[in-house]
Amino acid sequence: MNNPFSKLSMNKKLALIAFILGLVAVFAGNPYRGNSVTIDTKDLALIVDKTVDHVSPEELADWIIQGKVDFKLLDLRAEKEFNEYHIPVAELVPLAELNEHPLLRNEKVVLYSEGGIHSAQAWMLLRAKGYKAVYMLFGGLEEWTDKILFPKIPQNATQEQLATFKKMKEVSKFFGGSPQTDTGKQEVASTKPMPKLEMPSGTSAPTAGKKKKKEGC
Amino acid sequence: MSSTSTEIQHGPKPYWNPYLSGIGLGLVLLLSYIIMGRGLGASGAFSTLVATGVSTIAPEHAKSNEFYNEYLSDTTKSPLKDWLVFEVLGVFVGGFISGALAGRIKKTVEKGPRISVSGRLFFAFIGGTMMGFGAKLARGCTSGQALTGGAVLNVGSWAFMLAVFGGAYMIAYFFRRQWK
Amino acid sequence: MNAPFYKYGLFGDDVSLVVAFIIGIGFGFFLERGGFGNGRKLAAQFYFNDLTVFKVMFTAIITAMIGIYYLSVIGWMDLSLVYLNPTYIVPQTIGGLLLGFGFVIGGYCPGTSCVSAATGKIDGMVYLLGIVFGIFIFGEIFPLVSNFYNSTPMGQITLSQLFNIPYGILVFAVVLMAIGGFAASEWAEKKLGNKIVGPEL
Repeated sequence: MNNPFSKLSMNKKLALIAFILGLVAVFAGNPYRGNSVTIDTKDLALIVDKTVDHVSPEELADWIIQGKVDFKLLDLRAEKEFNEYHIPVAELVPLAELNEHPLLRNEKVVLYSEGGIHSAQAWMLLRAKGYKAVYMLFGGLEEWTDKILFPKIPQNATQEQLATFKKMKEVSKFFGGSPQTDTGKQEVASTKPMPKLEMPSGTSAPTAGKKKKKEGC
Repeated sequence: MSSTSTEIQHGPKPYWNPYLSGIGLGLVLLLSYIIMGRGLGASGAFSTLVATGVSTIAPEHAKSNEFYNEYLSDTTKSPLKDWLVFEVLGVFVGGFISGALAGRIKKTVEKGPRISVSGRLFFAFIGGTMMGFGAKLARGCTSGQALTGGAVLNVGSWAFMLAVFGGAYMIAYFFRRQWK
Repeated sequence: MNAPFYKYGLFGDDVSLVVAFIIGIGFGFFLERGGFGNGRKLAAQFYFNDLTVFKVMFTAIITAMIGIYYLSVIGWMDLSLVYLNPTYIVPQTIGGLLLGFGFVIGGYCPGTSCVSAATGKIDGMVYLLGIVFGIFIFGEIFPLVSNFYNSTPMGQITLSQLFNIPYGILVFAVVLMAIGGFAASEWAEKKLGNKIVGPEL
């Protein structure tokens, strides 16, 4: 029995194929993924185990000083807190809005919040969505304040410690902080004023060179 | 007409079945979406060209102009290192290859019998000017908006497509002497 | 498979330029195959003599549309990462009309004029010059038109979102419309004749 399909002309064959594909499309469903994700839990656990899930405040400070533009720094707190102080070059993306925030998949993303909880949650969220280069700021803003803005050196420091501290002093001043000498007295955190929100000199705004790539025609 | 299969065909070959060309084109477009997440385009490359040209001659003017500035924004590298510019270069090459394979490369002017060469060239220039202007207004041309946007059901693209066909049919009568 | 590859960081900007070039070659190749380097053939669409423009365009659109749809549905492609040109309905419609005029008067569109110029057609080359000039004019008077240019924005919106019809059903509708259009085109060409089958043929 001759195959009726092969009797059709080429054009009619193509039309039939197109018609069938179109018809199936009616039932095939929604092409958008929406908010569902697949998580490889073993993979994630491995990443945490190898501690490649975070960056230290020192590393971040270094990147900012060097004027690197290959990463995005996201501040997950509320607007009010952001306005009081935020790490230079950070963008405000409250945790609730993170899901909707557009992020390029080939960009490094560093997350920070006050301590570590929100940034950990955000890290989980982005990882689940498949972003590969996501990192938390180790210790969050607290650690940043402690280590970078107001680094302490004990009164009886060794030569080695003094040498390291010298560099920390420079870094701290760069960000408008003030290095301290640890007198052992318990200092109330609120007595230390946070640096003014000026961009440290020498850091160009990340917008230059990071212009949104045109994709129109 | 000789029907021996060994006969060498002289002269230009006839064009392909339009549906096959269309499928070929569609697959290229699909590939672009799969690899880059974006479609094709053409007018954008020319915009970059114009903006770069203006910027070379009068850089201050170019920077202060919102339109040119958009195509020059990245000062860290040459604005000509643009996706569309490279794509359009490819279009020239691809068109040439296809034409060469089919023996269709020839220095000529495509026109109807009732118009002179200079008349045709005059209209080609005018038509190109309108097209360039219109393409910028519409943020794209037939390649970028109609084909690319059409494939992803973009509202603006479909409206654009209808307008293009509508506009063309509207005035076709008045320019028939150029073609027929 | 995670598509679009570029958006997943599979390669960088420099490689993407090479990709652009190769894709462009494919684009130009098939445009010329279909005869779009020939202004007479392109214009013939609008005299109902030769409806190749419609056939090629819409075959390409439904091919890509079907491909994108199915790849997304089976999860190989993330449709939300695919670029959608923002819609500005009024300037795009007016621009489209102008473009239609330019198409008939000039005989080409930007992509096809490149192909035409590449195969030696002088009118294609002149057309390209016209495009550059037209864009230049646009750029120069931009402050005057910028309000119109930015008017009636609708954001990035698909037909599916606009009419609240499921994407799949629209795919089917577009396919039906295209097939119907093709059938009508074949009929019209038979009736009115005068197809341009090849250069000087």
